[in-house]
Amino acid sequence: MLTLEAILVGLIMGVFYGLMAFGLTLIFGILKVVYFAHGESFMIGAFTYSLLALWLGVPLWLAIPSAILVGGLVGVVVERLLIRPLYEKFGDWQAMRDEYAIIVTFGLSLFLVNLANQVFGPYPFRGPELTDVARFQLGPMIIGGHRLVAGAVGVMVLGAAYLFIQHSFWGKQIRAVAQSRFGASIAGIDTRMVSMLVFALAGGHLRLRDPDPGAAPASAGAVRPARARGLR
Amino acid sequence: MSGSRLRIRNEFLASLVFLAIVALLPLWVTSPYWQGLFIISMYFALLAIAWNLLAGYTGQFSLAPTAFAMIGAYTTGLLAYHYGLSPLVGIPAAIVASGAIGMGLGRVVFRLRGPYLALTTLAFAEILRHVVRNAHEFTRGEFGLRVQALFDTHLAYYYVFLLLLAVVQTGLYLMLRSPAGLYLQAIRDDETAAASRGVNVVFWKTTAFALSGAICGIAGALNVHFAEIASPQIGHIFETGLVLASAVIGGMGTMIGPLIGAFLVEITSEQFRALGLNHMLFFAFMVIVIVRAFREGLWGLVRLALGRRRAGPARKARPAEASGS
Repeated sequence: MLTLEAILVGLIMGVFYGLMAFGLTLIFGILKVVYFAHGESFMIGAFTYSLLALWLGVPLWLAIPSAILVGGLVGVVVERLLIRPLYEKFGDWQAMRDEYAIIVTFGLSLFLVNLANQVFGPYPFRGPELTDVARFQLGPMIIGGHRLVAGAVGVMVLGAAYLFIQHSFWGKQIRAVAQSRFGASIAGIDTRMVSMLVFALAGGHLRLRDPDPGAAPASAGAVRPARARGLR
Repeated sequence: MSGSRLRIRNEFLASLVFLAIVALLPLWVTSPYWQGLFIISMYFALLAIAWNLLAGYTGQFSLAPTAFAMIGAYTTGLLAYHYGLSPLVGIPAAIVASGAIGMGLGRVVFRLRGPYLALTTLAFAEILRHVVRNAHEFTRGEFGLRVQALFDTHLAYYYVFLLLLAVVQTGLYLMLRSPAGLYLQAIRDDETAAASRGVNVVFWKTTAFALSGAICGIAGALNVHFAEIASPQIGHIFETGLVLASAVIGGMGTMIGPLIGAFLVEITSEQFRALGLNHMLFFAFMVIVIVRAFREGLWGLVRLALGRRRAGPARKARPAEASGS
C-alpha cells in the first residue's frame, strides 16, 4: 500500500510542477524570452496566499484567487517595465536580446528573493490547510486531506488552462503569436496585449502549493534546478 | 588605429591608472579590515574580468564563474589536505584543473546559445556545488576545509592579488588587440557571419571558456589561502550574482568596467552589511536599472562625462556609421 500512496503523492507533486512548468513554457515557448524569475513569481503567490490567510484572516476561497491575481499583476508590471523593450525596439536590440533577458530576469530573481528575505524574514510560513479533514481514506490508501484537495484543484486549473489556450479567442491569439509574431500582427492581433496576457497568465498561474515546506524565500531557490531542467 | 583598438587601449590605460591608485592605497589604509576588504574586491574583480571575457567580449553568457573559483579553491585545498602538497604545487594545479574543466565545459556547450547556454552553465555550477557539499567524506562538505595560509600579513596578499590583476589585465589587453580579440568579438556580434569569414568558432569559444575558467581558478585558489577556509558557499548562486552585478554595474564589454564595478560592489555591500541592510537587494535593483536604462554601466557614464560619445561600443556605433556620420 505504501507504494500506491507514494505513487499518488508523486502524481500530485507532478501536478504542482506541471502548473509551474505551464507558466514557464508560456513565456519561453511563446515569447522566446528566458524568465529566470519564474520561481520567484511562484514564491509571490505562495506568500500572498499564506500571509493573507494568516495575518488578515482572509477566507480561503478569497485567498486563492487573490494569490492568482497578485501573481498576475506582478507579471503584468514586469512585462511592461522590463520585457517590453525586447520586442518594441526589436531591430537594434536583437544582438543583445538574450543577454538582456537573462541579466534582467536574473537580477529580478535575486531582487525578489532578497526582498522577501528583507520584508518577511527568512522564515517559512505555513498557510492554512485547504480542508479540515486531516486524512482521506481512498480505498486501501490513506492520503493527507490538503494534499488531495490541492491536487484536485491543480488538475482542474490545468484543464481550464488547456481549454483556454485551445479554444478561447485569447488562447488562439496566443498560439498565433507563438507561431509567428510578425504574421499575427499583420492579421490584426495586438501582439503587445498578447505578450502581457502571457505574462499575466504565467505569473498568476495558480500558486496553490503543498504547505509542507511552507512559503519561504528559500523555496524559490529550491525551485531553481527544477526550472533549469524544465527548460532544457 | 581602428576605433575598437583605440577604445581598448584607453580602457587599458585607465585600468592601469586605477591599479596604480590601488597599489598606493596601503600607504594610507593600514587597518587590516580595509586591506582585507580590498583583497576581496580584487578577488571579485578577477572573477568579473573573467566573466566579462566570456560574456562581454565573446557573447557566451556563462553563469558558472564562481563554480570555477570553487574548483580552484578545492583543488589546492584538497591537495594539501589529503596529500600534503604545498600551495606552490596546489595553485598551479588549480589553474590547470579549472582551465581544463573550463575547456571541457566549453566543448560541451559550444553549440548552445543564449538561454540554453546560461541554463546549462547554471546547472553545471549547481551540480558541482552539490557534489562538493554532499561528498563530505572527501571534501568535508559544509563543515568547510581548512587551508593553510600563504603569508603572515594582509599586505603580502594585497600585492600578490594586485600583481595577478595587473598580469591578467595586461594579458587580456594583448589578447584583445591581437587578431584573437577580433575573432572573439566577431563571434559575439554574429556567430554565423564570423564562421563564414573563416573564424574557427569552436576553437575560440573553447579557448575563451578555458581562459576564463583558469582566471577564476587562480583567483579562487589565492582567495582560499587568504580566507584559510574553503566551503561550497564559494560557488553559491548569490556569489555569481555579485560577480555579474560587478561587471554589469561597472560596464559590460569594457576592460575597466568589471574592475571598478567589483571594488564598488564589494565596498558598498560591506557598508550595507554594517548598516544591517540587505546588500543583494540593492545590487539586484541596480543591475535591473542599469541594464534597462543605461547598458554601458558606470564606465559609460564616465565616458559620457568626458564627452567621448564618439568612441562608443562597436554595437552602438553601428547605426551611426550607417547613417554616414
